[in-house]
Amino acid sequence: MIWKTILFLLSVAVISSCQSRKGKLGEAALDMPDSLELAADLQISEEALDEVVQSVSSPIEMAALIKEIGTPFSLDYLATTDYVDQYNTSFQMAYSLGVFGADLGYLNMYNKGTQIIDYLTAINKLADGIRVGQFFDFTTMKRLATSRENIDSLMYISVNSFNNMDSYLRENNRGHLSALMITGVWVEGMYLATQVAKQNPDPALNERIGEQKLNLNNLFLILNPYKDQKHISDLLAELNVIKAEFDQVEITYEMGEPETVEKDGMIMIVQNEKSIVHITDEQMQRIIIKTEEIRNKLIAI
Amino acid sequence: MIRILTIILFGILFVFTGNLQAQTAADLVEKCANDAGEDATYLKDFVVKMGEAATGSRPPVARYPLVLSKNNVYRFSVCTTEQSEGKAIIRLYDSNRIIFSSYDQDTKEEFNPFNFLCQKTGIYHVFISFLDGKSGEAVGILSYVTK
Repeated sequence: MIWKTILFLLSVAVISSCQSRKGKLGEAALDMPDSLELAADLQISEEALDEVVQSVSSPIEMAALIKEIGTPFSLDYLATTDYVDQYNTSFQMAYSLGVFGADLGYLNMYNKGTQIIDYLTAINKLADGIRVGQFFDFTTMKRLATSRENIDSLMYISVNSFNNMDSYLRENNRGHLSALMITGVWVEGMYLATQVAKQNPDPALNERIGEQKLNLNNLFLILNPYKDQKHISDLLAELNVIKAEFDQVEITYEMGEPETVEKDGMIMIVQNEKSIVHITDEQMQRIIIKTEEIRNKLIAI
Repeated sequence: MIRILTIILFGILFVFTGNLQAQTAADLVEKCANDAGEDATYLKDFVVKMGEAATGSRPPVARYPLVLSKNNVYRFSVCTTEQSEGKAIIRLYDSNRIIFSSYDQDTKEEFNPFNFLCQKTGIYHVFISFLDGKSGEAVGILSYVTK
């Protein structure tokens, strides 16, 4: 009787531990070691690096601005998921995971359930490929996307899944994959914004694009520790082309004290210190062109 | 035999307790994000767990950097677990200057959540601590407020 009880309890324990990770391991041919020690010439501490990663702004904000300025939805801005099966190196998978993550943010913002499922499927495949699929609840997200009723929940789970995948990669000595994912999110977000700016110029969007100078500088800090990896040094070389254009963009500041007001029954702090982006039409055109070239090059198979 | 059974039972309990704690943090993040309001879209969460401050020392503080963008309204909210000794406070800083705190030490008033209309794109910091240096667990939520 006792042995039967022990066997039963052991079975429960084994089943429970298997379920906690969902057992979704990919069979990808990894072109980079799964975990990387930071390069010897690391420029900032791991703690500082962690802070920089945390501070990169969310793709949701760019997608929200695109919608707020009245841009009609267009599938043409998005990266195709047709070639997802051909992304078979960890570099391609982590980078593309970021690209499709940014596209998913855009689709969520416009509540495009049918298209969302294609991107969820692609993201699920890529997440499994780099062994972070346990943070991506594909079944629930697919259900939410199909029902179209609870877009807020879908948005929450999408953003939360990416936050968790990113944290897990960094905590498990796979920061290079997190860096690639964040870069993919940023480049695709820039591509969306610049394509919209090309077709429907808008001062608020131009300013937001110019402000990306700050995020790009952060990306360099995130990627630099892994520059000994050829794929990452090549990526840095590509990003340097855009950085050269952003170096011409000037950001100035106006001082001011914050005010506290009450709006709709809630406290709102209005900042009166302002940042002002100085970007010429020529600079914007060059940034649009360079972003398009680099984004298309990086997602090409 | 009974000893072996006891060890196995404790082992299983340990595994389940670990899962439960992880689940609790995730649940609290989800609940706190939902409670931020219908006009708020979740962006980031900050999970903190702190022990009681040692006598005579400053209360421990968790610090998180963020990039906030001009012309966006952000909502900052904090939720404390029921088991916590202290109440969590969330503060927003620009460089070393405080912009706002969810708790006014002088009036003892609480402002949770609060909105921030950002006019300067740049790096900010969120600080989370517990009132009077007490121990506790909490999650801070950063949301984007739809205009």
